[in-house]
Amino acid sequence: MTRIAVAALTVCALIGISTYAAFYVAPTEQTMGLVQRIFYLHAPCGMTALFAFFVSFIGCIGYLLKRESKWDWLAVASAETGMAFCTVVLLTGPIWAHPAWGVWWAWDARLTSTLVLWLLYISYLVLRNMVEDPNRRAQICAFYGIFAFLDVPLVYGSIWWWRTQHPQPVVFTSGGLDPTMRKVFYLSWFALMCLMALLICQRYQLEKTREEVEVLKREVENA
Amino acid sequence: MKNLGSVFAAYMIGWAVFFLFSVSIARRTRTLREEIERLNARLKDLVKQGK
Amino acid sequence: MNLLANTSALLGKELRTEFRSRELLTTTIVFVLLVVVLFSFTFDPSATESRRFGPGLLWLAFLFAASLMLQSCFLREQNNDTLGALRLAVADPFAIFLAKLSANTLFLFLTELLMIPVFTVLYNVPLLAVLPQLALVLFLGSFGLAVTGTALSAVSAQARMRELMLPLLLLPLLTPLLIASTEATAALFDVKPALRWDWVAILAAFDVVFLTAVWLFGEYLLEE
Repeated sequence: MTRIAVAALTVCALIGISTYAAFYVAPTEQTMGLVQRIFYLHAPCGMTALFAFFVSFIGCIGYLLKRESKWDWLAVASAETGMAFCTVVLLTGPIWAHPAWGVWWAWDARLTSTLVLWLLYISYLVLRNMVEDPNRRAQICAFYGIFAFLDVPLVYGSIWWWRTQHPQPVVFTSGGLDPTMRKVFYLSWFALMCLMALLICQRYQLEKTREEVEVLKREVENA
Repeated sequence: MKNLGSVFAAYMIGWAVFFLFSVSIARRTRTLREEIERLNARLKDLVKQGK
Repeated sequence: MNLLANTSALLGKELRTEFRSRELLTTTIVFVLLVVVLFSFTFDPSATESRRFGPGLLWLAFLFAASLMLQSCFLREQNNDTLGALRLAVADPFAIFLAKLSANTLFLFLTELLMIPVFTVLYNVPLLAVLPQLALVLFLGSFGLAVTGTALSAVSAQARMRELMLPLLLLPLLTPLLIASTEATAALFDVKPALRWDWVAILAAFDVVFLTAVWLFGEYLLEE
């Protein structure tokens, strides 16, 4: 327990430091002004979400190859965590867009791809609730998890190419990053990756506990 | 200092999502641990009865 | 080539089953027709508007049709308990997938080809000149629909609420296919039609990626 408490406190401290840096250390951007600071939360969350889904992909492959439950636990834990980060991207995007450009949603390549990603993994989570038997659930969700992640580069690629063909005036980039901005960006990203690791561990433990309950239930039945 | 509200809102919403996620996991874990306690006690009773 | 022999035998079975009753093909064609007609009420079906919205609505209609039509693919095996027998009959489970997805590609491609004259008539868009290129795009699109739809049919057959699960799983996955095929088709519908090789390449990449994924991991779906 103590190890987790230390880890949680460290992550909180890192987040505190990176948020402080985002507000006070990073210089104010010229065109967008204060609202650009949302970038230090929005963009790293997107990258962290992708990384979490990649971990889920590894979990899915691991389960199909090894048939050990722990891979399935990793798959679902990182998929749910990825969804949390994905949700933050989709919520902070409009909050940034509206003051900056006057629209709540621009069909910008990255934001649109994140929306499709969100829909893909929502389907994964719904599927998990639709199968009772744990082994069958692990198996078919592993397959769908692999399919979903393989689709990710195709989604990003096709949407980016689609937007390049039909250019929109509103664009979500932060332009060239000045060195201090870059440092704050990497600090935020590091803090969020640590948060991701912590949340995946926590969620993994939940699955492990669920398995313990099932084992005990079987023992009680047999007694 | 315009748009400070937006920046605040974004960060607050972000941390709220992570916080709620973590709390929901913790709550589900606690329910399961209580279930484990209950099942362990039941198992002990059954073993005692068996003897 | 044992795989080829097994696949053609199973493909023969799939085609014979379907052409005996033809119910899947007819209902799918009628469904796509219905969707195309209904969609026309949502915009002004002049020639320019049709060129703009036509490709999108066509492909959406195909996507919806596929996600309904492909449900029965593995559900049929489950209801009649024939999946076990199929698995015993062939050494490589990929043959089962290959046969089913080939049959489904054929059915979808046929449906789409039949829609082309209907579309030409209803919307006054001349498509005869670009028929070969259009057929290529339709084929690659159908193949992608069939590969992903067949695999996910095997997935959803093992879940509850399977009628809703297949569209739910399939539609977000098909985003790249929808974009690529709509853009390629739109380029062919244009006043100066042209075949967009960039979108064709993305379609082909989609097909290859998911066919490979089914080849590598499909057998795990068919286990008892």
